[in-house]
Amino acid sequence: MGTHHRPEPVNRLTDAGLRLGDIVINWAHKNSLWPMFFGLSCCFIEQSTAFTSRYDISRFGSEVFRGSPRQADLLIISGTVFKKIAPAILRLYEQMAEPRWVISMGSCSNSGGMYDVYSVVQGVNQILPVDVYVPGCPPRPEALLQGLMMLQEKIANEEKPARSVFHLPGGSQGTTTPILREGKTKSRDPRGPGYEGITIRGTSVTPPLFEGSRSDLMWTPPAAKIELRASEKTLAHEMSLRFGTDVQMESPTSDMPVFTVLPHRIKSVLKYLKTEASPKYLRLNDLTAVDESARRNRKNLPDYTLVYQLLSFESAGRIRLKVPLERIEEKPPVDSITDIWPSANWYEREVYDMFGIRFEGHPDLRRILMPQNWQGHPLRKSYPGRATEMAPYTLTDARRNQPYDAAEFLEQRSTHKDAFVLNYGPHHFGTHGLIRFMLALSGEQILDMETEIGYHHRAAEKVGERQSWHQFIPYTDRVDYLAGVANNLSYLTAVETLTGIKVPDRAAYIRVMLSEFFRLSNHLLWVGTFVHDIGMMSATFYTFREREMVMDIVETITGGRIHPSWFRIGGVAMDLPDGWKAMVDEFVKIFPKRLAEYDRLITRNPIIKARTKGVGIISLKDAMEWGISGPMLRACGLEWDLRKKGPYSAYPAFDFEIPTENGCDCYARYLVRMEEMRQSLKIIQQAADNMPPGRYVSEDYRYCIPQKADTLEDIESMVHHFINATRGPKIPAGEAYGATEVSRGEQGYYVVSDGINAAYRMRIRGPDFAHLQALPLMAVGGNIPDFAAILGSMDYIMPDTDR
Amino acid sequence: MEPALQPVSLSFSPWDPGFASLVIFALIVVGLMAVIMILTAWIGEKRENPEKARAYESGIIPTGHARFSYPVPFYLVATFFLLFDVEAAFIFSWAVAYEPLGVKGWLQISFFIIVLMISLFYLWKKGGLEWGPTTGPNL
Repeated sequence: MGTHHRPEPVNRLTDAGLRLGDIVINWAHKNSLWPMFFGLSCCFIEQSTAFTSRYDISRFGSEVFRGSPRQADLLIISGTVFKKIAPAILRLYEQMAEPRWVISMGSCSNSGGMYDVYSVVQGVNQILPVDVYVPGCPPRPEALLQGLMMLQEKIANEEKPARSVFHLPGGSQGTTTPILREGKTKSRDPRGPGYEGITIRGTSVTPPLFEGSRSDLMWTPPAAKIELRASEKTLAHEMSLRFGTDVQMESPTSDMPVFTVLPHRIKSVLKYLKTEASPKYLRLNDLTAVDESARRNRKNLPDYTLVYQLLSFESAGRIRLKVPLERIEEKPPVDSITDIWPSANWYEREVYDMFGIRFEGHPDLRRILMPQNWQGHPLRKSYPGRATEMAPYTLTDARRNQPYDAAEFLEQRSTHKDAFVLNYGPHHFGTHGLIRFMLALSGEQILDMETEIGYHHRAAEKVGERQSWHQFIPYTDRVDYLAGVANNLSYLTAVETLTGIKVPDRAAYIRVMLSEFFRLSNHLLWVGTFVHDIGMMSATFYTFREREMVMDIVETITGGRIHPSWFRIGGVAMDLPDGWKAMVDEFVKIFPKRLAEYDRLITRNPIIKARTKGVGIISLKDAMEWGISGPMLRACGLEWDLRKKGPYSAYPAFDFEIPTENGCDCYARYLVRMEEMRQSLKIIQQAADNMPPGRYVSEDYRYCIPQKADTLEDIESMVHHFINATRGPKIPAGEAYGATEVSRGEQGYYVVSDGINAAYRMRIRGPDFAHLQALPLMAVGGNIPDFAAILGSMDYIMPDTDR
Repeated sequence: MEPALQPVSLSFSPWDPGFASLVIFALIVVGLMAVIMILTAWIGEKRENPEKARAYESGIIPTGHARFSYPVPFYLVATFFLLFDVEAAFIFSWAVAYEPLGVKGWLQISFFIIVLMISLFYLWKKGGLEWGPTTGPNL
């Protein structure tokens, strides 16, 4: 210090003043952080829970989640950063007020998390500077609050805003950390930097071939077989008379009648099944494909197989048609069926996008999930599944790959040349997730619209082809992130149908009880946000109060909140803990009073009625043909619920009703869901009162993870536990479709096994893909405010639309 | 009775219109605005960026015609609002001077209100207040 000259008194005074300024300005900054209302995926559910009554983020001066970036200075990246949405994230960040801060919430945003897949950016810090990382998948609301407090500390201790404010050199405010760069300041290698020369995984766990997999050496009994119903046998006979050898029945099958149809006959077969057959198959339930090129035994197999699945409302039966395709590059190998089912439009586009299979005569065959300039078809076996096998996503990519121009698109299609073009989403209060509606408006009236999905494409189907049969369960939780373990049930229904595992009664009851709790949790969130969409702000604070009760019960039983991943093949992960019954009983006692409260608040509210009655009508006929299911279908007057019509798990043992309404409008959907909550409560009560004793997982240890107590008793169970928890069980070659009634409708899994420890093809049929496709039927011709009400009433969720 | 000399404070009474109070009020308003605007312009952090300058439209680059044909109902509603807003201004000023204007003033304002009410019913009947789809749910 001796050589350093003493500071002038004036300078010392200035420094003290600036220090005081720093303290005052930092105090103001940290206590009035205004987060932007922007949710990417699951984490946002916990983020939004943080501003409801129990967690009450307003204690931190951050209660106002702003809808516009102009009024926000805190960006909380809550969820998965998809490559398709990254350009919009970057734009929103740059449009925010300054100084601004970024919290990265959850594993996906921190590093890609469990989604090391082609469509996901491996960490938002590759495109945005990040102040605070909140770990968890998803982090609890308290964890977010902790993150907020850490940011406040950072502001108070590290920032020197007074100098910038008074235009002096030096000083800092807002985020100053740099964007990280792969290979320089960050490493996407799961082992950390320095291992570049060594392959990460052995061939036995590397898709698509899994060469040298030890599952090849294991034995299992063949896949389960079913006996066809009399009507199905008659139908098979009729088909063979009519179409001869062009249509061949597969036998045996594990789930439903399966026919192989030659490509040139598929259209006439489908037309016959829809209009003439007995029973008629009115709904195109699913359309997808399988790339057969990585089969263990390729003998007699085509290059690709198209898979159509139809549903008959008359017989509550399903049918699967498989079309073998060869040489798909030369010309479109098969005709489009959009003239038989208009709803085939999106399904065919998805098959084109994911497999590169074209359809002759399709009106608008372009990509649907991936961005328009994407290279390759991700569900082909030759396509790399992991993001870490591809070049890192950088700031340059986020600037270049912009979503396509709405005006250009709507103009070339529409006759309304001078309409006003409005992008509604992907960042919008009313869209409830990452989806973009392009609207052509005249005043407030919607003349034409186009829906762009794929912003939430998390590649769950591709992941299903590389994770073992058990490892995939956590991914199912995140397919419909408000349905929690009910997702596990859909997946397990398919796997258990294929293998023929018998689930013990106690496990089945536990599954039913928890699935119904998640239905309640979903509907509670839905009621709050739906009426919020049409202007009633307070309901959310009531419904989240009950939702937290549900979450507490779920947490007591499973240890998790929104993603418990708690069901296992053949049962559940553990037995019910002490004290569960008292909590459930208390809830059963309180909840009807709370439902009555909502009724008083909402049901007869004249404004709610005026906003929802007669709005968003879809006719029953359209609803059936467009594949609409769940409360949306029941609001059109059809009593259709898989818990009754295709009974699964323990539902046949329960006494409950299927509520229906005839309004076909937003109000009818509201009434159906309110009554469903009462029925769910009835089921929960019965499950709690009649909970059978016994095992919580099947004894079929070939496939199941054994009960923990057994593994401590005998070596056989120990070995099975080890094998099934690490390598995963081998599932016999075959295929099965399993579907359950989740809170939004029919969620189904079509699993194809090639006889190893991972699925060969994992197809997920989400209800909202069909619902969103039918949106123009409800919305075009209506007004913008009605559009918000319709979107709210549909209760769609993006991860099961885009998967 | 008229006081010969008014206390200074009274000349600034909000109930007693006067030129001095108006001038001072205007000065305060302009001064406050100037302080706020200068402070924000000077203190606020400014980093120029083409994205920041772009209009916000749900995170997408806004496109489409800038000069599309503007629908008539917006214009009508704006005009009606203006008309009836002026009505309110007249009613307020009448209400302030209610006592000195007496019965005569009351009759005049009633006549004014009735005329405007008739015109409101007229444009209601003509469909001037219609809003939203005019051609059924599906065009």
